[in-house]
Amino acid sequence: MSTSRSTEAEGAAHSADGTDEESESFTGQGLPRVEDHRILTGEAEYIHDITPENCLHMALVRSMHAHAEITDIDTSEAEAHPDCELVLTAEDVKADYNPMPTGITEVHTDEGTGTITEWSLADDRARFVGEPVVAVVASNRYAAEDVADLVNVTYESLDPVTDGMTAREDETIVHDSAGTNIVDSEHLTFGDVDEAFADADQVVEGEYFWGRISGVPLETAGVVAQYDADTDSFDIDCNIQLHTLVDDTIYDTLGYDPDDVRVSVPPDVGGSYGTKIAIHRYCCLAAMASQKLDRPVKFEEDRIENLQGGDMHCSERNYKMRLAVDDDGTMRGLDVWFVDDFGAYPRYPVNQVLKPLSVVTNSYDLQNVSYEYELALTNKTSQTAYRGFGVDPHIYALEMVVDKAARELDIDPTEFRRRNLIDESDMPYTLATNNIYDSGNYAATLDRIEEIIEDERDGGYLDPEIVEEKRAEGKYRGVQPSVIIEPGVSGSDWTDRQRSDRDALADRDREDVTELPEHLRARVESDGTVTAFLATDSSGQGHQTLVSQLLADELSLLPSDIEVDYLNSADAPTEYGSAASRMAVMLSGATVGVADELKASVESTAAAHWGVDSEDVVYREGHVERIETGEWLSLGDISAIESERDGSPTQVSYDYEHPATAFEEFDDAFVEKLPVYPTAAFGANAPIVEVDINTGEVDILVFHTVRDCGTMLNPMIVEGQAHGGIAQGIGAALMEEFGYDEDGQPQAITLFDYLLPSIKNIPHIEMEHTETPSPFTVTGAKGVGEGGMIDAPASIATSINAALDPLDVDEPADRIPVSPAHLRKRLRTLEE
Amino acid sequence: MSTDSMNEEGGPTTTEITVTVNGTQVTADVEPRLKLSDFLRYHCDLRGVRVGCEHGVCGACTVEQDGASIKSCLSYAVQADGAKIETVEGLTNDDGSLHPIQEAFHESHALQCGFCTSGFVMATKELLEENPSPTREEIETGLEDNICRCTGYQNIYKAVESAAAKMEDD
Repeated sequence: MSTSRSTEAEGAAHSADGTDEESESFTGQGLPRVEDHRILTGEAEYIHDITPENCLHMALVRSMHAHAEITDIDTSEAEAHPDCELVLTAEDVKADYNPMPTGITEVHTDEGTGTITEWSLADDRARFVGEPVVAVVASNRYAAEDVADLVNVTYESLDPVTDGMTAREDETIVHDSAGTNIVDSEHLTFGDVDEAFADADQVVEGEYFWGRISGVPLETAGVVAQYDADTDSFDIDCNIQLHTLVDDTIYDTLGYDPDDVRVSVPPDVGGSYGTKIAIHRYCCLAAMASQKLDRPVKFEEDRIENLQGGDMHCSERNYKMRLAVDDDGTMRGLDVWFVDDFGAYPRYPVNQVLKPLSVVTNSYDLQNVSYEYELALTNKTSQTAYRGFGVDPHIYALEMVVDKAARELDIDPTEFRRRNLIDESDMPYTLATNNIYDSGNYAATLDRIEEIIEDERDGGYLDPEIVEEKRAEGKYRGVQPSVIIEPGVSGSDWTDRQRSDRDALADRDREDVTELPEHLRARVESDGTVTAFLATDSSGQGHQTLVSQLLADELSLLPSDIEVDYLNSADAPTEYGSAASRMAVMLSGATVGVADELKASVESTAAAHWGVDSEDVVYREGHVERIETGEWLSLGDISAIESERDGSPTQVSYDYEHPATAFEEFDDAFVEKLPVYPTAAFGANAPIVEVDINTGEVDILVFHTVRDCGTMLNPMIVEGQAHGGIAQGIGAALMEEFGYDEDGQPQAITLFDYLLPSIKNIPHIEMEHTETPSPFTVTGAKGVGEGGMIDAPASIATSINAALDPLDVDEPADRIPVSPAHLRKRLRTLEE
Repeated sequence: MSTDSMNEEGGPTTTEITVTVNGTQVTADVEPRLKLSDFLRYHCDLRGVRVGCEHGVCGACTVEQDGASIKSCLSYAVQADGAKIETVEGLTNDDGSLHPIQEAFHESHALQCGFCTSGFVMATKELLEENPSPTREEIETGLEDNICRCTGYQNIYKAVESAAAKMEDD
């Protein structure tokens, strides 16, 4: 069971699993979700469940080589199979369609400007194991796989490049047309870095590695595409994430206008966590096949395809960190260098190398920062987004070097952190990189987690006697907390920095900044209920519940009076969508706005009906009242009046502007195209770890966490997000990795190799909350979707360092995941 | 994955099977290679049987066969000939009301994306049938063959305990 407390500095506490009895509103309550019933009864319709009549099924032939010339594709046997309906190769794709848009449009080298072209099927060269080479279509998936087996592809294998550091040497080039494997890089400096490093008493250096991981949702990618010859347009159902933002990757590839490619996402998506943003290849191929056959075509990715070549791996980084510190424990400067192994193609999430700038110094007051990255291409599956979007490795590497500095300075690591925390009185705090932390008392959070650890030392898991006893068995216990920030509510303008002329950024004005608002529609039905239409897609976050809760409060209705539906990509305007810990803030802002529009609209209709001025009527408790007479019209009445008058019921829309646009404080970051994240949720973790030095296994005995995400709109959902994020963080820290051998063969292509945490691997999570509202958002809420994934790996790694501190092992957790094999390797040097 | 078995006419060889699915007898001609999970999803239209890995790790396809929970992606439809299968769709009462396990998962927020939920509900059913008031350790053992990627399992423990209490009261 979770407890909830408030520190002196913070506001009221909420019970996370119950209702807030003092509150009369639905918002702020742990209202059970409206999504659940259809899921629990098996009625929910996920993409795998959509199979239109007359639907054909696609299977893919994928490269088994990491790097190879494709010298011949013989499709004759496949085409002769009685069930074969279609075989597509790159030749067919190139004849009628376009390449898929890439994340880096131009590659600048000393020799000139290069480009990268990615076709939906591999052209003359295969660049990673699992890359689709041929698509086949048949009456069902079993038959389609039979047909795929009959395709004969001839390869001439080439040397692969299989890690980011090697890729920098450019001995093997993944794309000759680019001229280099380092297709993007930038060195940004803030403050006076040189002075800080020259003047500081000490410079501490560390090298860290973050292994390739991903969200691995239980539902794989799927698509159903239907071409309509009469209108020469497409309907595509897909579990793609950000369908109004990334639909260009589909319509540009097909060569159609946005309005002619209607992408719809089912209301239920079986998890995404960022990873389904870049599954457009499947949409493109299914749409092409549907156009050629004039029948619906379905593709359902299987798990092996998903793990080896599903376009869904995430960051793989080598870090070199330097921290300039004074002997009194003052941090003076930070120098971050890393190379990110992006795999074979630089796709949309190229900007995840930049997102760490939004929290570049984490919770520390430190203004001199150097930040340099190189984005490397290798012969591995392409990177996409994953919960945290590149911040999780940064926080890990930063907390590791902070830990190392404390040890070298011989200051207690918690005390070292405390001395450098951003002070509450400095809130809102502008980082060196011009992003702003909105609110929070970090010191109080660190104090609280220390109290919890003290309790563990007093008869708990860290009781000195028990710790001693366990140590005699070779089991080392420890913990090391830090305060970690979750940047929330990304702006959109900065996200194309790498496709902009960076030299020209200095000349930008505030007027040059264009931010995408959050769009929401609402319609009053004839029975007086209200239907809201989201322009974003969902994958388990409970958006329907959240909007029904908020809208019920705004309109004085019951949540059960509100239906929440979704818009397709053609009906919805382009907007950012469900990513970057945005929706609690963006949807709540949009809901408040659309409710105001709706009330104004029904008041105006009622006033016109009675022939009075708008001021003579008032919206109250689900109806409009004529103040003078007390007459009233229900929402249903008004919608009927409007229907009669205009032929359509009351319908309104609202675009909620990104909250940072209202605050001049963010102008510098906006103009410079630096990451803008106006909410800073924060927390401190104390995972009590026990390392078995004989096996290298790490057991987390209990995971304490104290968290603050501002106003909690639905505490039950907030806790669920934190639980899930922490669980994914534990998997990342200890278990999960997409390893590759030197030939570029993926080593984790089943769930026997890519280890997802089961109920046995996740410890009890003991969670407390404080609530420090954000001054930058309508409801005071902060973004909350990614926190655990961002903060848990760093906390676990530093806790492992702490546990093994009595042994002479320098930074045992210097790579993620800290697998038993890695720890044994590090400990073995001790034995020798 | 494919085993290309053809009959004399060049079509796939099929076998007639009869399975009792959620109390209803279903007879069908199926290819021997048809997975039980696909049979339930496509021949019986029971889409609550979710397919997450097709190699027996994730547990999303968990159903009951003759009273014991199995992973339906690891067995073939022909192996269920003559068997009784129960899926999550069979749990809901005739009046549409939820089974106590379903209720408990809802109330405890033990699901987010929901893709693993059918499997967890079915695994919980077997667990509680064998052990009406399991300890946390017993819950862990009972559910260790199912993966949930969203909830971190905290609320799944609560849901199982709550379901156990509800079923004891019934």
